Amino acid sequence: MRRDRWYVLLALLALSPVLLRAQDRRLSDRLDPATATSVQQLIDSARALKLPTEPLVQKALEGSTMGASGDRIRMAVEALFGQLGRAREALGTGASEAELTAGAGALRAGLAPASLAELHRLRYRQSLAVPIAVLADLVAEGVPAAQATREVFQLAREGRPDDEFVALRRRVQSQKGGDPGSAEPLQRPAAAPAADPPSEAR
Amino acid sequence: MPVDPSDRAGDELLQRVVDELRHPVQLDDSVDAAALERIRRAGLPSHAPWRFRLLAGLAGAALAAGLLLAVLIRAPESQPGPRGSRAVRLKLVAPASSRVVVVGDFNNWDPAATPLRGREGVWTVELRLKPGRYHYTFLVDGRKWVRDPAEPPAPESDFGTPTSVLTVS
Repeated sequence: MRRDRWYVLLALLALSPVLLRAQDRRLSDRLDPATATSVQQLIDSARALKLPTEPLVQKALEGSTMGASGDRIRMAVEALFGQLGRAREALGTGASEAELTAGAGALRAGLAPASLAELHRLRYRQSLAVPIAVLADLVAEGVPAAQATREVFQLAREGRPDDEFVALRRRVQSQKGGDPGSAEPLQRPAAAPAADPPSEAR
Repeated sequence: MPVDPSDRAGDELLQRVVDELRHPVQLDDSVDAAALERIRRAGLPSHAPWRFRLLAGLAGAALAAGLLLAVLIRAPESQPGPRGSRAVRLKLVAPASSRVVVVGDFNNWDPAATPLRGREGVWTVELRLKPGRYHYTFLVDGRKWVRDPAEPPAPESDFGTPTSVLTVS
């Protein structure tokens, strides 16, 4: 009997991480019970597929703060779940959480999964989070997808560091000046020396 | 005053006793050695060392825990932010507003978490964010959502509210 109790205690200790993460307090505190449960199921599914879960939690919390209905919150989380999955198909199983999150945003902005895959190929073994985010930002700013892709791919091909991708977006933003449909070539500064390949692999 | 003979005899006896006590007693060296040997064999009480060690260990652990706690409690003040984070300054010009807060992926979309400081209609806040992509928006006077015009709009608007996207490299 005493030994049985020890087994139960050990089992609880072993399972405690699972039990602790079974319910995200942020969801139960901010969403109605039915919505919290359905969102939690999506999060559990994402975790089982080794997809990032924090963006899903944040999407649900965003909906809560905006006063959205439970159905709308669930649909938004579901859509993001699908985009994260498609981003991983394009970027591979080694993609980081930041890359998948950026990839989901890019797909949401209307970019093709093939563009993500090509960027992955061009910037192999370097972080893709910033280049993908910039690509999505450019499209969101109104730069045609083909043109934005061309510019970002060029920087990736030249091995430019993340800061140069961000600088590209800043330039576009300042050039646009409220003309979201502009298809003018993006002006680039004089070529800077290419960055050394980063030492850290993804 | 005549002296009682019995008193005189008592004084003499007392004086001899005092003289005897003042006389140093010389013991043989072997007596000292034997006494020390007996003490050595008897040793200290057997329970003293491990109790002492246990107490010392507990005291040390308590001290270490206290120091760790003190460091952890002070950490939010002394550390600039999450490891690898960057300072990001958000700004909104809203002259007629009395309160501006920012909500986003970095603060669980909590309207109470990150108020901006206003000065002559310019509202600012400095955040420390790790590299990544963040959605956020401003809430002005508790009722109006205003996206940050300095950053790109979010491509999606799941909840009908204008939001911006911030990329931290």
